[in-house]
Amino acid sequence: MIAVLSKVFVVGVGMSNVGRFYERPLRDLAAEALFKAIDDASNLLPDFIVVSNMLSSQAEQENLASLIADYCGLRGISGFKVEAACGAGGAAMIAGYSLISSGLANSVAVVGVEKLSERSTPEVARGLAYAADADFEIPYGISFSGLNALVMRHYMDKYDVKRDEMSAWPILMHENGYHNPYAHLRMRITNEDVLKSPIIADPIRLLDSCPMSDGAAAVILASEDVAKKCNDTPILVAGIGNALDSTDISSRFELDSFLAARVSSERALKMAKLTPKDIDIAELHDAYTINGVVTLEDVGFAPKGKGAKYLYDGRFRPGDKPSINPSGGLKSRGHPVGATGIYQVCEVVMQLRKDFPGVKVGGEVGLTQNIGGVGSNITTIILRS
Amino acid sequence: MSFQRIWRLKDILLDLVGIRCKDCGYTCYPPKAACPKCSSRNIERIALGSVGKIVSYTVVNVPIEGFENMSPLVIALVETSNGKVLTQLTNVKPEEVRLGMEVEATIRRSAMTLDGYVPYIVKFKPKES
Ligand SMILES: [Zn+2]
Repeated sequence: MIAVLSKVFVVGVGMSNVGRFYERPLRDLAAEALFKAIDDASNLLPDFIVVSNMLSSQAEQENLASLIADYCGLRGISGFKVEAACGAGGAAMIAGYSLISSGLANSVAVVGVEKLSERSTPEVARGLAYAADADFEIPYGISFSGLNALVMRHYMDKYDVKRDEMSAWPILMHENGYHNPYAHLRMRITNEDVLKSPIIADPIRLLDSCPMSDGAAAVILASEDVAKKCNDTPILVAGIGNALDSTDISSRFELDSFLAARVSSERALKMAKLTPKDIDIAELHDAYTINGVVTLEDVGFAPKGKGAKYLYDGRFRPGDKPSINPSGGLKSRGHPVGATGIYQVCEVVMQLRKDFPGVKVGGEVGLTQNIGGVGSNITTIILRS
Repeated sequence: MSFQRIWRLKDILLDLVGIRCKDCGYTCYPPKAACPKCSSRNIERIALGSVGKIVSYTVVNVPIEGFENMSPLVIALVETSNGKVLTQLTNVKPEEVRLGMEVEATIRRSAMTLDGYVPYIVKFKPKES
């Protein structure tokens, strides 16, 4: 049994817009998110900063905790950076959670930031491919899209899932994200738009893929004592779990599901003493349509092979239980890689507080799931109002 | 990918060397230092074999840096009797590839490394009957 010494609450959230900001440096994006979160937490200055990021070396900057803390007037506090590929945000939340529950800190700023617009698309694609098995997959030139395409083809073949059923995912994401003022791609799309979009890595089309984004998001975590003093609507981190799988996909036990998605959500739900049926709202990690569909099943919102079919039949829209990705998900909100897991937490916290500025879905229990690699490092978080 | 890195891995990449767990019998590629199923370090290296069937494939139109001149890349996951291997297909048009297709290993040129060398690597081609 997990011994929780102190309960952990989210008392402040802040996000920058998601997009491509050629004119803004990394530290500036981080400062915007961090200051918004601190303001949201009634000006609570954190003891500790945990930064989540994947590819800061492409922006020619490491040592991000020192950089951001100092730039934001927090010189002298404690901190470090966490990297877990695209799953860095979820992993950083585990670090922040542990610092407070262990008593090592009373308040922690978890700041996710990514700046991909510094580099060309093939360079960024190479950087992202380092999240796969660099020794045994890169020699063949396969991209991250290509690896996910292998999963998508296998899944569609095994469960006889139609292209139109898969397309229900990006259509819903864009419908939701259209209303999200932070989203990178705010446009509605049709089934025909998906079918006409270019093939990136067959069967993955452009409109199955998230954009590569810049962005920063921050949350302030606090112990129960501190939380009571600084916020009227603290949100409890009721459960948190991580699981790993192989970086390579050749040696996976299964190709049509993500073991780490299933196990990390079992861990988080068990800690929160809840089941998938209790979740009102979930933000899932749809870097590609196939990731969204497979994780619907791995978390337990749909039986194996039925995720896309359920969605196509009208499930998971705002107001359903669960509502999936009212933010628009990675597909529409965007994917500022190392920051994405923190965006998800900000969005679900705001839904539970009823102050999310896009589609509002209501509810008392939310789930976020953040994926690194092709399902190789996954963190699931349960949040309660 | 640098030339040194390919050179270090050449025995594994050219002979497709995987592992077999001597305790539980699990086999896989690429090689691990311990068994993914039972954590045993009592493992041996084995050859995957040179024939297999395609269990999934994709045609990559936007490859990573360095492979632009080789696109579209036909990439497949090939299942041999000792495990699956991610590989590139050759001697086949993208539209001719099918799930379940029987393929065999062959040595071919890969894309030039970022430091300017042309390595040879195992690709798979349709099996001649
Ligand atoms: Zn074993």
